[in-house]
Amino acid sequence: MTNRARNIRITAAASVAVVVGMTGLVAVSEPLYRLFCKVTGYGGTPRMAEKASGATGEAMFTVRFDANVARGLSWGFRAAEPQMSVRVGEETLAYYEAKNTSDLPLVGTATFNVQPDRAAPYFNKIQCFCFTEQVLAPGETVRMPVTFFVDPEITKDVHARDIGTITLSYTFFKSDDQSKARVAQSEFKPESKTYSN
Amino acid sequence: MAEAHAHAHGHDHGAHAHHPTGWRRWAYSTNHKDIGTMYIVLAFVASLVGVAFSMMLRAELAYPGMQLIHDQQFYNVLVTAHGLIMVFFVVMPSLIGGFGNWFVPLMIGTPDMAFPRMNNISFWLTLVGLCLVATSTLVGTGAGTGWTVYPPLSNAVFHPGMAVDFAILSLHVAGAASILGAINFITTIFNMRAPGMTFHRMPLFVWAILVTAFLLLLALPVLAGALTMLLTDRNFGTSFFAPQGGGDPIFWQHLFWFFGHPEVYIMIIPAFGIISQVVSTFSKKPVFGYLGMAYAMVAIGFIGFVVWAHHMFTVGFNVETRAYFVIAHFHYVLSVAAVFAIFTGMYYWLPKMCGRMYDERLGQWQFWITFVGVNVLFFPQHFLGLAGMPRRIADYPDAYAGWNLVSSVGAAITLVGTLLFIYLLYRTLTAGERAPANPWGEGATTLEWTVESPAPFHTHEILPNITTQPAE
Ligand code: HEM
Ligand SMILES: [Cu+2]
Repeated sequence: MTNRARNIRITAAASVAVVVGMTGLVAVSEPLYRLFCKVTGYGGTPRMAEKASGATGEAMFTVRFDANVARGLSWGFRAAEPQMSVRVGEETLAYYEAKNTSDLPLVGTATFNVQPDRAAPYFNKIQCFCFTEQVLAPGETVRMPVTFFVDPEITKDVHARDIGTITLSYTFFKSDDQSKARVAQSEFKPESKTYSN
Repeated sequence: MAEAHAHAHGHDHGAHAHHPTGWRRWAYSTNHKDIGTMYIVLAFVASLVGVAFSMMLRAELAYPGMQLIHDQQFYNVLVTAHGLIMVFFVVMPSLIGGFGNWFVPLMIGTPDMAFPRMNNISFWLTLVGLCLVATSTLVGTGAGTGWTVYPPLSNAVFHPGMAVDFAILSLHVAGAASILGAINFITTIFNMRAPGMTFHRMPLFVWAILVTAFLLLLALPVLAGALTMLLTDRNFGTSFFAPQGGGDPIFWQHLFWFFGHPEVYIMIIPAFGIISQVVSTFSKKPVFGYLGMAYAMVAIGFIGFVVWAHHMFTVGFNVETRAYFVIAHFHYVLSVAAVFAIFTGMYYWLPKMCGRMYDERLGQWQFWITFVGVNVLFFPQHFLGLAGMPRRIADYPDAYAGWNLVSSVGAAITLVGTLLFIYLLYRTLTAGERAPANPWGEGATTLEWTVESPAPFHTHEILPNITTQPAE
């Protein structure tokens, strides 16, 4: 083999190795991403915070609480209060309520979304029930708290400070994995409980 | 460089007369120039479709209300197909597959690419990709996901038909083609340069293609992986991105932008390369700060990857913020910058590719009409964005009416410019004056100008020796 032919093989092999390497990276990205979310509490949240910084401002926002249930999950789901008026920077507690209206235990998972998008980076949640599975026995009701604050930095963002109303929207989906429902069925206890994490 | 070349084409072609003719010449082509030509033709055909779709969108958006397009899903299908076609089947194939294949071997002084057969496969895969994306618009209600294919919109709940699967497969195939192409370019540029063609003497266009090839190698496997996960989510019950199964749609966005960010540079760096060539030719000096420009392209490629992190930590995806502003902004980058670079490359290299000169006056008209057109088209979209107009809507409140009409008029002007270009191409091919080997004079120092026009089937079979050249 000539020198050039050998070099060509080496370059091509190195290029293929890069492709294989990147493919490998994607292949393990899913568990890595989950780990990352677990460690940082990130999991698609615009922001997760330990607690509010304490600094509050003058500006007031209306926070609307929106609740949806996806097709296939026989739950009732609503916000305890449709909206609240909150002061910027102030830690606020709100509740959502879910009730299993079917006669089977069901596992649901919630996703959420903050609108308008440009408010999302400033909408900090300290506690929420997103991305964790909820098991509800038939007829069972659960109250789920959300603690949040609006970061005072929002008043410095020319594109976001004029927002008067922020909507926090939750959607419950039926989990693909219903095995926990079967466990719940065997230890069914009908009284209402308050969920906290 | 004029004395450096020469003998490259003076030899007897008898030994090579066996190359296939007729349709076989194209179907089985392993010749970098033929393959380059096929890529340019493919991009041309795709651009007719992509532009036609965008004209339908702009026609609908000219006035509030629904006139032409009566349902939002169909509007979304057109937006998606327009975006995908423009990015994957117009800009990339013309800049990389077209000009890259034609001119990288000519510029570095080698007879062909390192893997000519693989080059052939890349082209045909790209064509298959184009057919798949066209199919996706026709099956069921089409793929109305946007070119970013975000779940949950792209999942089986919102898009149950096969359309999204076709779109995904299209990107898979086009991606595979680009990866093979990238390996080919890297191997060619690293190993097949003529004696004396050191990295620091390599034309900037070749540098640009090299950097782009590296970006493709790093970015496309990530897209392919993400698309595979989406495909299995849709069809085989996995839930990488499906919240009801414990997955996370945001995970898609991270993977997508790991690809999407470099993708912007993949489209724009070859454009830089072309502009650098043209500027150095017509200013009759090598691009001031040649090395600076070469390393700038390397640095931009590198940064293109690093800034992906900004998506990682500013989720809530501000990309959608002031939505129409984003449309204006990336059309300035993609449509104004990349497409004008494609026009530039066509004007600059057309004499070499087809052996005929274009009509300079028509060319000037085409430039100015298109230039005015795209600015009238895209500039007002900044105002629409600032006023809060969302993307991907077929109807809008009356408040946005004025600038939308202006923008649509701009689209019509752009269309006139584009049609004029097609006429100019036709005139050049049928009635253009014969082009000399080097129509651009002393400033055109790169090796492609040392072979006759049109460039013969075989070039640089005897390697040009440029060791006598001073480094630039
Ligand atoms: C003839 C000039 C062009 C016109 C009139 C045009 C027009 C449009 C319109 C009306 C939209 C949809 C905006 C919306 O409602 O969200 C759009 C989206 C888009 N265009 Fe163009 N465009 C042109 C050229 C290009 C070029 C050259 C590219 C090159 C890459 C391109 C890439 C895109 C992309 C990626 C999208 C976004 C698709 C999505 O939202 O998923 N366009 N364009
Ligand atoms: Cu970005």
